[in-house]
Amino acid sequence: MTGTTTRSPAPAGHVLRGRRVSRFVLLVIALAGAAVASTWLAVSIGAVPVALPQAWGIVADRLVPGAVPRTWTPVQEQIIWEFRLPRALLALLVGAGLAVVGAVLQALVRNPLADPFLLGVSSGASFGAVLVLILGASALGGLSLSAAAFAGSLLALGLVYVLAQRAGRLTPSRLVLAGVALAYLFQAAYSFVLQLAQSGRAAQQVLFWLMGSLGGARWHLLPLPAVVLAVGVAYLLTQHRPLNALAAGEETAVSLGVNVSRFRLTLFVLTSLLVGVMVATSGAIAFVGLIVPHAARLLVGADHRRVLPVTALLGAVFLQLVDIAARTVNAPQELALSIVTALFGVPFFLWLLRRRSVDRAVTVG
Amino acid sequence: MRLDLRGVAVTLDGHPIVREAGLRVADGELVGLVGPNGCGKSTLLRAVYRALRPSAGLIAVDGDDVHRLPAREAARRTAVLAQEIPADLDFTVAEIVAMGRTPYKADAATDEAVCAGALDRVGLSAAAGRIFATLSGGEKQRVLLARALAQRTRLLLLDEPTSHLDIRHQLELLHLIRDLGIATLAVLHDLNQAAAFCDRLYVMNAGRVVAGGPPHEVLTPDLISEVYGVRAVRRPQLVFERLPEEP
Repeated sequence: MTGTTTRSPAPAGHVLRGRRVSRFVLLVIALAGAAVASTWLAVSIGAVPVALPQAWGIVADRLVPGAVPRTWTPVQEQIIWEFRLPRALLALLVGAGLAVVGAVLQALVRNPLADPFLLGVSSGASFGAVLVLILGASALGGLSLSAAAFAGSLLALGLVYVLAQRAGRLTPSRLVLAGVALAYLFQAAYSFVLQLAQSGRAAQQVLFWLMGSLGGARWHLLPLPAVVLAVGVAYLLTQHRPLNALAAGEETAVSLGVNVSRFRLTLFVLTSLLVGVMVATSGAIAFVGLIVPHAARLLVGADHRRVLPVTALLGAVFLQLVDIAARTVNAPQELALSIVTALFGVPFFLWLLRRRSVDRAVTVG
Repeated sequence: MRLDLRGVAVTLDGHPIVREAGLRVADGELVGLVGPNGCGKSTLLRAVYRALRPSAGLIAVDGDDVHRLPAREAARRTAVLAQEIPADLDFTVAEIVAMGRTPYKADAATDEAVCAGALDRVGLSAAAGRIFATLSGGEKQRVLLARALAQRTRLLLLDEPTSHLDIRHQLELLHLIRDLGIATLAVLHDLNQAAAFCDRLYVMNAGRVVAGGPPHEVLTPDLISEVYGVRAVRRPQLVFERLPEEP
């Protein structure tokens, strides 16, 4: 342990608390500001450059027609409004969603190394997406890519639940084992479909999708992830105390008055839905759900009352910046998002492993 | 009567672990529950704090069946120091203690005062900002006790609170618990310590409570040889005590 073991030198009552809370509020405001600023930056950067004031003007003009004098071309307007803004908003939603799911799962399975793809849901979504990409939408009764991915995630969710429950109760170890087993099953299934396809182009498309991309973002894809995220985060914010109690241990949570079976089931369904919706719109973006919650805890401690909002905002800003990088470093080619997140994620993760003793991190369960 | 168990049976995976167990804990009493490994004492305790459901019998806290109480209400009446270590998410001592307020409606001022009082009671006020996982074994047990105290219950359950502690920390914790004056049911391993600290003892064997009463009446050589299969011999031996407090 070389890192800080004491988060605050003076533990004296409300003075400490007052300082922590105001620091927390400032941090939330700063992160919300960063989310707006990074989104603004994201819509102005690209193959057709649009100056920041013009980008702002285009959005303002759409929201309140005639509010700003027009200084932009119709092409610029189309690019910003129809492609870049929905994409930037989707980046915020997916980043926040994956990060929050990571934080919740780390408490649910009591392991700091848990991530959103642990429960097999993303493999199910990938399977659905691969079917559409390889066999074509018509083979699946006209399901769109995201609808098929979402259906795949629901299928995986149902199977994991059936495998992991006993008399309606879920235990963390069963959840993880069932999730891992099903992830292998679905990976085998879509690898099989890919092999059958024997089309290099389609396979490349699938690979790109599996590594995560926000390139498909359009306005009509936004409402579902937005609603699921809003409802999910709103619910979780009311549950910060049971989440803390659950992280303390199952029996402890029971003795603290938490209905553990029901709460675990709710969390499992909620996180699976969130992952399913996010993966359906943007593929499987790695590392966001694993590292962002840890970064949030470094900033505000382990209490979920503060961890959840900071994780959501940090995840949103992080994925926005990642997407900007993915679009610009190798333009006009786009990088798959998981490549960029791994670039930041792996060093952070290794640093985290060195900071805490590895034994401690992996034996907890 | 704070705690009243009558004819309690608990079955795990089809095996009867506890059969027709009965015991009582009165207000302010420290009651020990002893018995050989696998006799069902921890299982009985888990049924009291609702981690397990009894297959028969009544477990009443303050006269109400705990398994019929709403979860929160039960948690306002009974607190537990079990053998569970929190997930490794870098919780601070203050955050662990604050978990004790889970069964209550959040109220910053009250919660803070109660938690500060609980930490003070276990002598760890200075450690509030430290990361729980970096504490010593004895300190961890005291923090978990503070969390139980923050629940503000009138009944406390302890599952082998002194295991993994050295002799000095065992004694410190037992003195601390006895001085709380809360009705307490403690599963204990060390018979000498159980006899020294508890007002009354219950002895379990093969799922049944086979004896109960003041320690010197209960721990007879006959009972010990019957339950543990060992001979109890009185010999002058080293006895461990806390050092007198320095002024």
